[in-house]
Amino acid sequence: MPRRVVITGLGVVCALGGDVPALAAGLAEGRCGIGPLTLFPYRGRCRSAAQVPEAVAAGALPSATARRLSRPDRFALAAAAEACRAAGLDAGLRRAAALAVGATTGGMFETEEVYRRRRAGEERRFRLSRVLGTPLSTAAAAVSQALGIYGPQATLSTACSSSALALALAADAIRRGQARVALALGTDGLCRLTYAGFDALQALDPDRCRPFDRDRRGLSLGEGAAALVLEDAEHAHARGARARAALLGHGTATDAHHPTAPHPEGRGALAALRAALAAAELPPEAIDYVNAHGTGTPQNDAMEVGVLRAVLGRRLARVPLSATKSQLGHCLGAAGAIEAAVTVLALDEGIVPPTVGLRAPDPAWADLDLVCTPGRHAPLGAALTSSYGFGGHNVTLVLGRAEGR
Amino acid sequence: MDRDTLRREVKDLLASGLRLQVASGDIPDDAPIFGEALGLDSIDALELVVLVEDRFHVSIPDEEVGRRAFGSVNALVDFILAERPG
Repeated sequence: MPRRVVITGLGVVCALGGDVPALAAGLAEGRCGIGPLTLFPYRGRCRSAAQVPEAVAAGALPSATARRLSRPDRFALAAAAEACRAAGLDAGLRRAAALAVGATTGGMFETEEVYRRRRAGEERRFRLSRVLGTPLSTAAAAVSQALGIYGPQATLSTACSSSALALALAADAIRRGQARVALALGTDGLCRLTYAGFDALQALDPDRCRPFDRDRRGLSLGEGAAALVLEDAEHAHARGARARAALLGHGTATDAHHPTAPHPEGRGALAALRAALAAAELPPEAIDYVNAHGTGTPQNDAMEVGVLRAVLGRRLARVPLSATKSQLGHCLGAAGAIEAAVTVLALDEGIVPPTVGLRAPDPAWADLDLVCTPGRHAPLGAALTSSYGFGGHNVTLVLGRAEGR
Repeated sequence: MDRDTLRREVKDLLASGLRLQVASGDIPDDAPIFGEALGLDSIDALELVVLVEDRFHVSIPDEEVGRRAFGSVNALVDFILAERPG
C-alpha cells in the first residue's frame, strides 16, 4: 500500500504575526494584514503591502543568529523552528529529515540596500556580509545548519508556485521512502525589484486586493514564510505525533503560454487540478473547501473560477471558496506553503477563513459560495489549494482531514 | 585624536559594524578580538578589514598584518595610531 503523508507541524511568519497562533487568530477574526509599505521608500502608483511588522521581523530570532541573515532567511528559520517544535522533532528526527524550500527573490532587499548605500556614498566598498544572503539557496542552508537537518535538500523556484512545489516534492520523497520526515517551506520578502515590477505590470491594486470582487483591480504584495513538517503517517503514529491533516495528492502542469499572464482557459491549471484529484484518488464531489490562488487580478480570478467550474461542475456552487491573499497579500514564493498551512488549519479546526474586503462578488459568479468576512465554522473533509506562478507554473495540492492516522 | 577616544571609536565600530550582541562598553581592551569573548568568525575578519581600512584610512594587506592589528582592541588602536596618514 502506498505511504500516506500527514502534516505533523506548522510554523509561520506573516503580516498577521510571527507564529501559528497569531495566524489562526487573524484568520478567525478576519483581519487584514495589508497596510502601508514602510520597508523602503517607493514612489509609484501603489504604496500598500502585507508587510511583516518590524517587531515580528526583529523578534523572530536571537540577534546573534540573525545578524547576517536576510529577512526571508530569518522568516524561514523562525517558521522552520516553530514547525519542528510543534511536530516534536528531536535532533535525531531532524538529522534524517529531507528539506525542500521554495523562494523567488532571496536576499534581494539586502542586495538592493548594498547598491543604495554605495550610490549614496555611505559605503565605498562592497561588504561581504551584505550580500551573503543573495543566493536563493541560503534559506535552506541557514535552516539546515541551525536545525541540524542532514537529509536530501532542494531549493525550488517556479515563481508563485515555488513552495507549493516544495510541498509536492517533499511528499514525493516520503512516498518513495527516501525520507520518513520532510520539512517543506516557502519564504520571500518584500523588495524594490518585486514591488516595482508588479507595479510596472499594473498588477497591483493601489488600495488593497479584493479577490473575486467585481471591482478587483489587482493584487497586494505580501511577505513571510511557512514551514510544514510532512511525515509518513505510520511513522507519525508510531511515535505518537498528532497529524493535523493529510496531504492526499498533488498535480503540477505548465501553461507554456506567456511570461506573466495565465493561459485564458487555464490549460495548465486545469491539468494540475485534474492530476491532483487523480493522485488523491478523490472524485470532485469529495471537495469541501477551495483555498483559491485568488490573487485579485481580473485575469487570474476569471481563469481560476473557469478551471474550478470545469472540474467541480455543479458541485462548485456548494463549495466554500476563499482567498488567503486578501489577508496576507501575495507572498510569492512563500504563498503556496502559507496557504497550505491555512488550509491545514481550516481542516483541523473546522474553520472556513473569509475573503476579507470582498464586498460585491463579480456577477458572473453569483451562484458561487464566496465566503465573506467573518468566515464561518464547518467540518471539512478535503480541500484544494492551488498556486499559479508567472510563466505558467501550476501546482494544486489536495489536503484532507487527518483521520485514519 | 587621543587614545581613549580612538579606543571608544574602535569598540563602537566592532559592535555596530559587525552587529554584535555585546555592548561596545563591554568589549575587553586586551583580549584577542578573534578569541572566545566576541564569538567572531572568518566572515567577521573579512568584514573588519574593510571596516577598519575605510574608517581609519589604514591598510591591512595580508594575514600577518591582520594578526598583529587584531591582537586586541589596544593592539588595533596602536596599529591605527602608527599607520594612519597625517
